Amino acid sequence: MGYTQDERACIWLCCCTKASIHERLVLLHAAPSPAALLDHPEHYFPQAGVPYTEDDAARMAEAEGYIASLERKGYFAVTVISDDYPDPLRHISLPPLILFGKGNRALLGMRKFCIVGSRTTPPWAAKLATHFAEELSERFAIVTGLAEGGDSAAISGALPGGNVISVLPCGLDECYPASHASLKEQIAARGLLLSELMPQEKTRKYTFHARNRLLAGLSEGVLIVSAAIRSGALITANCALEFGRDVFAFPHNVGSTHGEGCNELIKKGAYVATCTEDIFSFYGMRRSEHRPIDLTGQEMKVLGILRDGGELHAAVIAERAGMSAYEAAAILSALELKGVATKSGGNKYSAF
Amino acid sequence: MIAKIVCYALIGLEGVPVEVETDVNRGVPSYDMVGLPDAAVKESKERVRSALKNSGLLFPMNRITINFAPADIKKEGASFDLAVAVSLLKASEQLVGVNVGKTVFLGELALNGDLRPIAGLLPILISAKGHGFSRFIIPADNAKEARFMGDAEIYPARSLAEVVAHLNGTRPIEPLETLSYIPGSRTRGSADLKFVKGQPMARRALEIAVAGGHNLLMIGPPGTGKTMLARCMPTIMPDLSFEEALEITKIHSVAGILGAEGIVYERPFRTPHHTATTVAMCGGGNKIVHPGEISLAHGGVLFLDELPEYKRSTLEALRQPLEDGVISVSRAGGTVTFPARFMLCASMNPCPCGNYGSSERTCTCTPAEIRRYRKKVSGPLLDRIDLQVEVDDIDYDDLTAGGEQECSEAVKERVNGARRIQAVRFENYGINTNAEMGERELSEFCELSRDGDDILRSAFERMHLSARARARIIKVARTIADLDMSEEILPKHVFEAVSYRIYDKIG
Repeated sequence: MGYTQDERACIWLCCCTKASIHERLVLLHAAPSPAALLDHPEHYFPQAGVPYTEDDAARMAEAEGYIASLERKGYFAVTVISDDYPDPLRHISLPPLILFGKGNRALLGMRKFCIVGSRTTPPWAAKLATHFAEELSERFAIVTGLAEGGDSAAISGALPGGNVISVLPCGLDECYPASHASLKEQIAARGLLLSELMPQEKTRKYTFHARNRLLAGLSEGVLIVSAAIRSGALITANCALEFGRDVFAFPHNVGSTHGEGCNELIKKGAYVATCTEDIFSFYGMRRSEHRPIDLTGQEMKVLGILRDGGELHAAVIAERAGMSAYEAAAILSALELKGVATKSGGNKYSAF
Repeated sequence: MIAKIVCYALIGLEGVPVEVETDVNRGVPSYDMVGLPDAAVKESKERVRSALKNSGLLFPMNRITINFAPADIKKEGASFDLAVAVSLLKASEQLVGVNVGKTVFLGELALNGDLRPIAGLLPILISAKGHGFSRFIIPADNAKEARFMGDAEIYPARSLAEVVAHLNGTRPIEPLETLSYIPGSRTRGSADLKFVKGQPMARRALEIAVAGGHNLLMIGPPGTGKTMLARCMPTIMPDLSFEEALEITKIHSVAGILGAEGIVYERPFRTPHHTATTVAMCGGGNKIVHPGEISLAHGGVLFLDELPEYKRSTLEALRQPLEDGVISVSRAGGTVTFPARFMLCASMNPCPCGNYGSSERTCTCTPAEIRRYRKKVSGPLLDRIDLQVEVDDIDYDDLTAGGEQECSEAVKERVNGARRIQAVRFENYGINTNAEMGERELSEFCELSRDGDDILRSAFERMHLSARARARIIKVARTIADLDMSEEILPKHVFEAVSYRIYDKIG
């Protein structure tokens, strides 16, 4: 894919000069067009006090060389002046001048919705997040991180459809956590990886925070799957509030440490999400037709008990349904396979 | 004069005949032993000398040479004492006109002439019978172990003096009366499923595991009764047949852990601690090879509590015996094969702190910690464990309204039923249980209906099961169908089989 002269100039400014982020902004404002910066740096750079390469040919070679090095690795760069630069990002504080991406660039043009959760997401919330991501990804590109727990759950729901954007807290060359290297490859192949950092940069403490700002900035709304009172997911939620995005959260049991942050958000006015309908209807959408699920009489009975009772132990379900524990186990795993119930730890089940 | 007496050495579980040849010559008094005796055998010189003297017999003051034949086997232990003493008596003409050619002498001597018991008597008797010997003189303390040998004259003696009196005919010893073995005539008192409260899922998994010979992994927080459940496993296993009992007794006899009963009535339940070394687990030793825990668990249950705490190499060493049912231990002195067909029952916590998945307590482990913890158990080992069940951390007594729990005897009935079906099914296939089925048997006996196949397919997609999990689920479904007395594997059996898996894969 070709870059315009302005884009080239922007890439050169961000990647080949030593200008800080603020100096870059000053320079971009000073010049009539970014291309002018590349053509006549002597007019603008001295004002900002930034050193630059004085030889014209060498400057062009620097820019071309950098673009070639990106292309060799299959990366592309989206600059703030590119046509497909995500519009919502322009309205956040300190929008990134450049984003590096790998994968399906067309996803940048889709409506985006963010699903995040802390690394210690309880199994039921993770399953639910997967389910939400699967259904929401029919209409939205799902924006999330690459961490374990809530993020992975969202990815596993959206990845089969390919509508998933994973924003990394490190450069595209790196992988954090390292154990998700293969997951990262799959996202690059079917979805999109994004990062505002130079490809070779590693994670630092602040890069997570900065990444969370992008998650919220890219999306129309944010769903918090699980969050402790101090967690990255809450930072994302706070950014979202700051940028005027809609915040949704799963309700958790009172007192469960992995869900306190979610409950706190709800207390402060976040929307409660218990089914995908909650989010679709908020945006005036209707969910695509649902496949009817074919259940036997006994399965209906057990599902009814689950819907009434919330999360229940298999033995309790068996007793209420008047069957033996192992008969109930068979029916419960049938419900699970049909996608209407889920098993969490300690032989407990709940309905969707 | 030369005397020849037969006794036995043990190599693994096999007895090897050893001839003790004694020559008493005129010359400068001396006492030599040749034929590869080890230190304990050589020390028998002093024990025999004292025992003879203290039994009122004469130690010949001549040139004595004792040879152990065949000379190429290393002789170890003190079980040759009696044979050495008798051959000395014979060679010094203190036992005239007594025919001892077809008698096997076994026993260790005390200085006062008493006979002490030896380890591994039963395997020796069985091997010796196979070699055509039918008359044995053994220490009286070993008598219980020998009572189950039919068709043999076995004389239990208390001391060397008694042996001599018996041989002379002055005071013959009564031959041992044979006992017949009655399966299940002794039962373990302490463990019974009726004492296990709640845990309906785990009880069911236990029943399926035993019915189909499947290995079992229990996952649950600490202190929820995993060990107690495991202890109940032998109580619902089928009774030992005489052949099985004899084989187990042989192993226990060699290891020197045989109880007062003289034969093993109950299926063994072994719980090696997680600090156990690979040698302790599989067997080995410096010169003489001892059976390890897996052989001691032969015919019974090997329970590994806190599975991830075991050394990786130790666990990996279990893979081959789990497959073959035997373990071959090779040492410089030779290779010994011990039987090791056991059911593996393991338990572990869901995460290092034990609270993962609990609704009551909060898990404080990071995903990386949990993954590291679970990774300690390798995939190939997990592939040999067909059933994985969660043990509840909550007391369900209140919820399931008390009531008497089903006792082991009732469960055992059902297990026996399922085992009978399997015995008929596998009559010509050289295997006994569903768990041992290979590809051939799977395709022959476990054909799934269209519905069943659909269920498995959707399970694969939804739960990201590995291809190897497929065979496992089908085997378990076969056992569940057998417990249900159903010829066909019905969808409900497949569904239930699917529910016995680790609920959540992390990472």
